[in-house]
Amino acid sequence: MASLGYFTLLAAFVVCSYAAALCVAGARRRAPRLVESGVGAFYLVMALMLLASAVIIHAFITGDYSIRYVDMVSDSAQPLFYQITAYWGGLDGSIMFWVTLLSIFGTCAVYTNRERHRELIPYVVAVISVVQMFFLFVMIVHKNPFATYLTQTPVDGRGLNPLLQNFYMAIHPPSLYIGFVGMTVPFAFAMAALITGHVDDSWLRAVRRWTMMAWLFLSLGLTLGMIWAYEELGWGGYWGWDPVENAALLPWFTATAFLHSVMVQERRSMLRVWNMTLVILTFFLTIFGTFMTRSGIVQSVHAFGQDTALAIMFTVFMVLLLVFSFGLVIYRLPLLRARNELESWVSREAAFLVNNWVLLFSAVFVLFATMFPTLSEAVTGARLTVGPPFFTKWMMPIGLILLTLTGIGPLLAWRRSSTSNLVYQFTWPVSVAVATGAGLYALGFRVWVSGVCFALCGFVVGTIGQEFIRGAMVRREATGTDLFTALVGLVARSRRRYGGMIVHVGIVLMFLGFAGSGYKLDSQVLLRPGDTHEIGHYSIQYDRLSTNTDDRKQMITAHMTVFEDGVNVGGLTPARWYFFKHESEPTTEVGIRHTVSEDLYVVLAGYEVGDQAGSFQVTVNPLVNWIWFGFTVLALGTGLALLPESAFAYAAATVPAGTATASTALLAAALTLSSPTSVAAQPLGLQGAQQEVNIPASALEIDLRRSLVCMCGSPGCGKKILAECTCVEAAATRAELKGLVAEGLTRDEVLRFYVDKHGSQEALAMPLDEGFNRLAWLFPYLLAAAAAVALGGALVRWTRHGREPQLTTGNAQADAEFEARLDDELRNLD
Amino acid sequence: MTPATVSSFRPWHLFVLAALAASTVVILVARPSDPVVAVLLTLAIGAGGFVGLMTYRTIKPLTQRDFVEATTMAGSRTRAAVEREKTLVLRSLKELEFDRAMGKVSSHDFDEMGGRLRARAISLMKQLDVQEVDFLPLIKRELRGRLEAAGEDPEAAAVASSAPRSSGDLVCESCETSNDRDARFCKGCGKPL
Repeated sequence: MASLGYFTLLAAFVVCSYAAALCVAGARRRAPRLVESGVGAFYLVMALMLLASAVIIHAFITGDYSIRYVDMVSDSAQPLFYQITAYWGGLDGSIMFWVTLLSIFGTCAVYTNRERHRELIPYVVAVISVVQMFFLFVMIVHKNPFATYLTQTPVDGRGLNPLLQNFYMAIHPPSLYIGFVGMTVPFAFAMAALITGHVDDSWLRAVRRWTMMAWLFLSLGLTLGMIWAYEELGWGGYWGWDPVENAALLPWFTATAFLHSVMVQERRSMLRVWNMTLVILTFFLTIFGTFMTRSGIVQSVHAFGQDTALAIMFTVFMVLLLVFSFGLVIYRLPLLRARNELESWVSREAAFLVNNWVLLFSAVFVLFATMFPTLSEAVTGARLTVGPPFFTKWMMPIGLILLTLTGIGPLLAWRRSSTSNLVYQFTWPVSVAVATGAGLYALGFRVWVSGVCFALCGFVVGTIGQEFIRGAMVRREATGTDLFTALVGLVARSRRRYGGMIVHVGIVLMFLGFAGSGYKLDSQVLLRPGDTHEIGHYSIQYDRLSTNTDDRKQMITAHMTVFEDGVNVGGLTPARWYFFKHESEPTTEVGIRHTVSEDLYVVLAGYEVGDQAGSFQVTVNPLVNWIWFGFTVLALGTGLALLPESAFAYAAATVPAGTATASTALLAAALTLSSPTSVAAQPLGLQGAQQEVNIPASALEIDLRRSLVCMCGSPGCGKKILAECTCVEAAATRAELKGLVAEGLTRDEVLRFYVDKHGSQEALAMPLDEGFNRLAWLFPYLLAAAAAVALGGALVRWTRHGREPQLTTGNAQADAEFEARLDDELRNLD
Repeated sequence: MTPATVSSFRPWHLFVLAALAASTVVILVARPSDPVVAVLLTLAIGAGGFVGLMTYRTIKPLTQRDFVEATTMAGSRTRAAVEREKTLVLRSLKELEFDRAMGKVSSHDFDEMGGRLRARAISLMKQLDVQEVDFLPLIKRELRGRLEAAGEDPEAAAVASSAPRSSGDLVCESCETSNDRDARFCKGCGKPL
């Protein structure tokens, strides 16, 4: 079977090159025969990849451990579900899975567009085939998933990493990969448009739905990753700015920017080069993300490990990619000139520009901060850490700016907004925002970041509500029905616009969840059976510790009873699972009590089987479930915008709708609202618990816990900040830190102590602002300034054109007959 | 490899049948103990059949003697593309009107942007019109073929179908609506003819 699989991969590579060559030849010689054959070969690649996948899944299920990859990530005790998902549980298989998904996605895209964009199809096929060839090449020469052991065949496999044996983790990679490979389709169409010179808006129409779909899956992947981190890693949060998470976030930023700036091109024929650039960047970042996680250039919880050969292959591919695609853009620059210019800063176009600018800033900033440790090591040789506090410092204000833009964008008029118009549009949303803010302040919610965020959420909801109501009123007048019918008709008719609005609602809900973390409570306690711990309005009683074993793992489970305001509301069973063959990496099974308003989150951090004592990390996460709920709304909105409706659907989807999906980007930017504000989290009363170990005594100590990272280096921790890490070493470091603070050391002295202890700044969550590292601190400012200058320059250039291209209207006015027919068709179209 | 000689038998039928037969044989021979394995084997063989079909699809355009393009073109682009763009432009116009009603576009801007879109829509309509003429002979031929198949004389049918309209229509005296020749009451006003 293994050789059949390998042969299939080889065949796929050959067929790919055949498809690319024939399509290009056919397009150049105008020979449809050749193109048809090339397209057929392109479909054939999908068939071959399906066959290879069937072969490898068969090997997993029958337990063919003579194949190295199967041996590495699977064993016979694993349930069927994880045996199948082990397919993408390791490096080699994940590349193969990637190619399979790309071939399926590409085939669908080519099949649906083969008539509509006939002139582009040959080059689309060629570009996707070349990308597939690269990944197939990597597999064939370096990472063959079908490689077998030459001598002894193991009796049983080594088993999948226990951390990955979680439902969300099983479906998280596929959705992320679909998002990644989905971005190849817009890239291929963009390249085809550039090569053929058909750079009008038609390629945009072909790809917008594919981009939206890929974007949806990317968002789904990110959300699943957050849920996984929240439920499986057990540190009370959901986003740790880990390099691998960031890798998935980067293309998400640029894709979101693209989905917005597309609308400007559609309606105003501006930003054509910019859109091209965004598509190329998005695709590049997906490849770069893959490179980052697979070549071991950055350290991460779930990177795949060091691999220099792979790093070189990827680097060559990425360089070629950039040279080729931007070379084409430069070659076609004369065709890509904007037909209009920006006329006012108070216009929809300008709002989109600012949105794009902020999103791109986020992407470059996150990229820089993620790569900085590598950069620093290369330049100065010293290892260091760029941890969550550094990201948060920048991403929090960016998230809030984006949220504001979500509210402002839809209210502005195209081209320019007059003052009276502004007053008319802004009165209600601003009142809602002020009322929300004041109401919360009066009720005693005083964490300012969260407060501002809540008020902005109010503003956006006000905007969206106003858009819906006013739209329905306009339609009621036009059609003469009642308001509700008008509303339904409105949404059904312009799905993209109102789908986009619903996506915004989802974003607002997610922001509520992020802002809720400002009111997070957490504490670490050592409990003995019978002890009670109080946090917020909960009281947790620790009953006993039990040990069970099934055929795959040993489970240490703590049994607790939860009282809410004195009422027994059920039990929680946080646990540690020790999977056989992976005993050194126990998984954390968190005990969570979900409610609409908050989660009670209990982690079993350590235990003593002898006297049954257990140390627990107890967290109350307000509003956290709104993030997942917000994502559901977001998915519904995107689904609405994507709904096929034959010709009409395409039309509705193309309409240069207001904001569709606008500033959805907020999502990630705001992930950050989490960490810093939770300083407010004070461990509350701890009656009955004989523990003093880990309660921070002073503000300085709390601050220090957030400024240092766990250095144990185990894959489960991955340099989490000290306040959140649950491992033994982190506990010891916290104790040590307490001692240092008690001795009266200042903040700088403590940090210095740890720098000396580890011989580098690696233990600090943020590099010190000195020497080469000053660059890390300066960079965001430099970036923002450079971007502002570039934006200003573009603006000056645009406005200087004056109004010379006062359009080619008028000349078609002659045809009265056609005008009448057009009016007729317009009336019938609804 | 090419069973296209029998008109109702399509290439993919062959591959589906071959895959089914192959998986039956494999399962009979291998007798897997686990039903999951049996399902997987079938799927793998199915994928193999799919590979065969797609290979056929790749080779066919190269070997076929009378390879013709199935798409109709309008100008330099396919008709489907032009039609789609027209729908899109109409939608955009509609959307622009809506934006004006919502106060998101000033009327001056509306005239300018709308004018451009209208011009585009009209040029697309013209492009499509030119193309539509080409359909006529096709439709006529098709109609003729069908009528002949139904056993009617196409010429007579043509006369019969066009006759009532061209010759003596019954015109109602009171409302001047034209009615069929065999009508007894006017379809416009209901008076007896």
